[in-house]
Amino acid sequence: MPEGQTVNKLILILLVASTLPVQAQEQPQTVLYKAAAIHTADKGTIKNAQMLVTDGIIQAIGQNIRPTRQTKVVDLGKLQLYPGLIAATTSLGLTEINAVRATQDTTEVGEFTPDVEAWVSVNPDSELIPVARANGFTHALVAPMGGTITGTSGLIKLAGWGVEDMTVKTHAALHLWWPVMTLNTRPKETLRDPDKYKSPKEQTKARDKKLKTIDEFFNEAEAYARARKAGDPNFKKVPAWEGMLPALSGKQPIMVHANEVRQIKTAVAWAKRHKFKIVLAASRDAWQVADLLAKEKVPVIFDNVFTLPQRDTDPHDIHFRAAGILHKAGVKVAHSEAMGSWGASRVRNIVYAAAKSIAHGLPREAALRSLTLHPAQMLDVADRLGSLTQNKEATFIAVDGDIFDIRANVKHMWIAGKKISLQSRHTRLYEKYKNRPKLNK
Amino acid sequence: MKSTLLGRAVLTFLVGLLVSLVSLQAAEILPPGQRPRPLGVHALSGARVVVKPGTVLEGATILIRNGRIQAVLHKGQVGIPADARVWDLKGKTIYAGFIDPYLSLGKDKAKPVSNRWTVPIDARAGVSFTGVPTTKADMGRKGPGYEIAGVRPEHRVAAEFSPDPKELTALRALGFTAANVIPTEGIYRGTGTLALLGEGNPNQLILRPDTVQHLAFSSTTKRAEGYPNSLMGVIAVIRQTVFDAQHYYTMQAWHKAHPADARPEYNPSLEALRPVLAKAGKQQIIIESGSVLMEHRAQVLATELGFNPIFVATGQEWRRPNLMKQIKAPFIVPVVFPAIPELPEEVDWNQVSLDQLRGWDWAPEIPALLRRDHAIALTTHGLSDRKAFRKNIARAIERGLKEDEALAALTTEPARLMGATQLIGTLEKGKLANLTIVNGDSWFNPENEIDSVWIEGRHFAHDNPKPEKPDNDKKDGQDEKKKEEPKPTPRLAKSPDAFRGPLLSPKNVIIQNATIWTCGPEGVITNGSIRIANGRIVEVGRNLNPPKSFDGIVIGAKGMHVTPGLIDCHSHSMILGGVNEGTLPSTAMVRIGDVVNSETGNIYRQLAGGLTTANLLHGSANPIGGQNQVIKLRHGAPPDALKFTNAPPGIKFALGENVKQSNWGDEKTTRFPQTRMGVKTFFNNRFTAARQYLADQLREDVAPMRRNLELEAIGEIINGKRLIHCHSYRQDEMLIFMRTMERFGVKIGTLQHVLEGYKIADEIAAHGAGASAFSDWWAYKFEVYDAIPYAGSLMHARGAVVSFNSDSSDLARRMNLEAAKAVKYGGTSEEDALKFVTLNPAKQLHIDQWVGSLEVGKDADFVLWSGHPLSTQTLCEQTWIEGYQYYDRSKAHARAKALVAERTALLAKAQKKDSKENASVAARSAFFLRALEKAHALNNCYECRKVKP
Repeated sequence: MPEGQTVNKLILILLVASTLPVQAQEQPQTVLYKAAAIHTADKGTIKNAQMLVTDGIIQAIGQNIRPTRQTKVVDLGKLQLYPGLIAATTSLGLTEINAVRATQDTTEVGEFTPDVEAWVSVNPDSELIPVARANGFTHALVAPMGGTITGTSGLIKLAGWGVEDMTVKTHAALHLWWPVMTLNTRPKETLRDPDKYKSPKEQTKARDKKLKTIDEFFNEAEAYARARKAGDPNFKKVPAWEGMLPALSGKQPIMVHANEVRQIKTAVAWAKRHKFKIVLAASRDAWQVADLLAKEKVPVIFDNVFTLPQRDTDPHDIHFRAAGILHKAGVKVAHSEAMGSWGASRVRNIVYAAAKSIAHGLPREAALRSLTLHPAQMLDVADRLGSLTQNKEATFIAVDGDIFDIRANVKHMWIAGKKISLQSRHTRLYEKYKNRPKLNK
Repeated sequence: MKSTLLGRAVLTFLVGLLVSLVSLQAAEILPPGQRPRPLGVHALSGARVVVKPGTVLEGATILIRNGRIQAVLHKGQVGIPADARVWDLKGKTIYAGFIDPYLSLGKDKAKPVSNRWTVPIDARAGVSFTGVPTTKADMGRKGPGYEIAGVRPEHRVAAEFSPDPKELTALRALGFTAANVIPTEGIYRGTGTLALLGEGNPNQLILRPDTVQHLAFSSTTKRAEGYPNSLMGVIAVIRQTVFDAQHYYTMQAWHKAHPADARPEYNPSLEALRPVLAKAGKQQIIIESGSVLMEHRAQVLATELGFNPIFVATGQEWRRPNLMKQIKAPFIVPVVFPAIPELPEEVDWNQVSLDQLRGWDWAPEIPALLRRDHAIALTTHGLSDRKAFRKNIARAIERGLKEDEALAALTTEPARLMGATQLIGTLEKGKLANLTIVNGDSWFNPENEIDSVWIEGRHFAHDNPKPEKPDNDKKDGQDEKKKEEPKPTPRLAKSPDAFRGPLLSPKNVIIQNATIWTCGPEGVITNGSIRIANGRIVEVGRNLNPPKSFDGIVIGAKGMHVTPGLIDCHSHSMILGGVNEGTLPSTAMVRIGDVVNSETGNIYRQLAGGLTTANLLHGSANPIGGQNQVIKLRHGAPPDALKFTNAPPGIKFALGENVKQSNWGDEKTTRFPQTRMGVKTFFNNRFTAARQYLADQLREDVAPMRRNLELEAIGEIINGKRLIHCHSYRQDEMLIFMRTMERFGVKIGTLQHVLEGYKIADEIAAHGAGASAFSDWWAYKFEVYDAIPYAGSLMHARGAVVSFNSDSSDLARRMNLEAAKAVKYGGTSEEDALKFVTLNPAKQLHIDQWVGSLEVGKDADFVLWSGHPLSTQTLCEQTWIEGYQYYDRSKAHARAKALVAERTALLAKAQKKDSKENASVAARSAFFLRALEKAHALNNCYECRKVKP
């Protein structure tokens, strides 16, 4: 059979299928996907390859997989397959319109709120979710914002009927927003309220106190954990302390949000002292301490590729190069967008942060992992997600070119073998107004 | 010149003053019980007398009679009168009493002009704008005056001069005997008064009641929320006030000829500006502009408005010494030098920037730097610790200021500036007996204590001759005294000019073997060549080779791509002192061109992404914003040399949520307009007013018209001379805006952002407005919920001229990749997509005759790329403007390294200085004061931050 025909047929099928947000009909049990290339993210790229999927699980990937009679063959022609992309830190689903307060569920009040759970408040019908999906994102870590310990995040898949079926992993990480450590050096007379001026010494004191508070909070949490373990029948559970338990037991990583080099160094030392497993998020200045992070095996979620250089002596392209510097030192890097409302509307562009990093020294394979395998490993779901490998979920996308090229488009998406629509508010409005009749002049 | 009428009047006045003083001092017998006055005859003998800078008499005697210097006798010369009280001043040095030309007194002491301009949040207007219900009648003060509270030139320091004796004691302790006491508040601040710093009746202390007018680039009034609250707004007010004053004078003359017509108002503010604007014998005006770029702007403004200016220096002049040379007026120079801060921890030093270290290292050199091309007078202004004055002058002398120059700057120069050379400034016969006496042979050695000062023949002993101590840490100060002062180290800080300006400036350039994206009719030329001569493209083709005698550069560009320099149709990246004058609903009179920031790092960063031209726009806080400025990124050039002089003028308009203050907080409900209905109504109102204004200008039967800068700018739009760039989001608001403009015969230049433009692409194309869009921003406000990344392609497909803009100092670094999004979303061809950031914005700005494509005759603005310009993997290798190379990636890292090395060296120097250096808290915190040019936040994104409180 000439190849062209298969592709045409396939496209027809896909077009029909893609009108539903999640395809309701049963998929054939076993499907063989043929593509121009499969980028596995853990075992390199295989050209002219096939991927055999049964019940949403990858059975095999190779160049010579023969379909049985029951196998449905999907020939994707010139398209290239990549694992579904994972947005490592987002407020996706917790926000709709930045300026409309009523649509904001990103940020809670209080310094220590470990019992806040972010994923439970994801709006499954947020218009921002399909927009992220349209550029290849199948998963996002939804994390809480607010005070110092803001709560726990959950990993969601970006398609589903409700929060419960979208949630892939609850309690994925505990979030600790490291206190600001830089001095406010603005002279007293330039402050709007000069009475609030604090000298550098006073600021240092206040900062040390705040750092101590974090230590103290974890100490108290540990005391709670021990008391709970002692098994007193009259032991009274406290929700906030309960929220700390997974992180204390090492089951859950602590994600430390910090940008400034001093925060990063202090946080790493703190984690080492307590033997906590941490992931660094935001990480603007991480490149300055790449060796330290490599030595302490702290993975980095970097969302500052497009941040302007902070110091007047920084090279103009330092943040374009930062991920490459970290990788070269041996640090595991994931790319992301900034947390909050603005970042949530721009998840689709995380791919181009990684792309820019490639142009400035990050190896292409590491860049692909920064959007797939690395976040999956950081969130401890790499047994299911993050690469196209036998026994993992068939969660993947088909792209009509290089995913790191802006001109390329994601054409299809599957999550655990299910075909997912790439339609969004944007494509709907596009179709609508593309078809507006030409104005009669 | 003294021959002028005003000069003569001053002289007459001074002579009159003299007569009265003589009679007072000679004849006064105080009532019993009061301490009798000493006789007024003294002989100060044996001292080293510095008659004036450069004239020193050793062991001379000064004779004082009735407050005047009667004679200066040489050593050994006889003639001490019998009635004189003789003072033996051997071992002491006598100078003419020092004069501070810029002294502010009292609890409302003037701070140096602020370098912090906040984003406007309140829109309560002081100007009588029809339809603004919150307009207050009294403009923040009672009584007649100008409509803007900051314009108070009628204010006279002389009218309320009553100095605190303690403050005067402190000034005398430095050697000061007289000062021009300045007004402290507003923009036009009023006239200063020249006064003696003695004791007693203010009537007697004042030498010249009204010296000069004072102008400050400052919005600080007690009610600071009104117009203006941006730097460009202040400059607009300075201009408009002058035009209003001129009109006021004209109307008074006109009224005499037409007594039956409308009676002109009485306006004391405008009346007070008469001497400043007089055709001859102008009163001088001291301008404190607060920043180095604004010093130059003040000079330009002074020329435009016909002022006779004196400038107040900022200490930042090291940033632009060449620009200072263009200033042709004297400087009043503060000696505020930042000191090394005390930081609690070693790691805190990471926060110290190169710019701050440079400012610290350069500061003591500023007086010498300014003295090279200008007359200077020194002042204590801005010095919160006046005791540092002498020490700082000593440091200025170490760094190149000559002692005689410093002395002149304390005596003869301020006397000249204040028009009082007949009375003070030297120790010559007939002058007032104002003396500064110091132990030892020089005042300029801060170790030498002040002995006393004499003011108009009255002796003021220095009553507190203890060693000076720092305020902050007394113990340390005492230890310090014993130590040997460290020798001054030479300056390590470099000039910013060492790191900017063209890298190559050849006469001719030939590029060979490149893929050339002409963005013109030639399309893409593979293996192409371009020849450039004198900044212009002279040939585009293939296989161009240099002639035998070729004076220039040949670039072999095999594998590389060449595109036109990228153009950003919406930028705020190089603006000083506030992007919005958001106080009034129409601020058509303010100009971005007045406040271009040539010092920001954004220029280099954006050049490094291939950007060569930017449209600097006012913000979107009001329906009619300010006038824009198109610039080229000629890195290193001062503001006016960045301007794209051929670009037609334009203006920023805005619609929707921003102008109706939707996201400004719940209290902002009273400025008109609050709805999109009101926005349309407002435009109709202002354009009708402007049309009326234009019509009235043609009439001869009416009273002389007031020049109205707001309506003038809108009138230029109606006349087709000014392009509208209108921030617009929703389709309905764009439609009615186009229709409203059409009613006035106006074609819109660009719809900016134009997020829902794709819904009315045909209407936009039919109107002929350019569509300058975001590539893919959405969802940050309700009005962008329908924004889609396909918008650019959709509008392009329907015939609109589409560009992608940045509105962000980040995105402006990678506009080529923004263009790639038009390929991705909606399938615009690559060639057309590249035009979204080259030819199309050039068309929209009406500059496509010069830039936007690589065609013969156009400016040689181009970028060399390592590969396909729309690929994320491509790097910008070189950026050229008008045949000069401004960015070269291969040189960028050496540049960065040199900056790091300079910082490291400066940091070492700073830390080597004893951290317990004898400095005040104020001097230490001044280290962190940022120059206005460097005060802009590093905000990546203007539009997205704006909606947050």
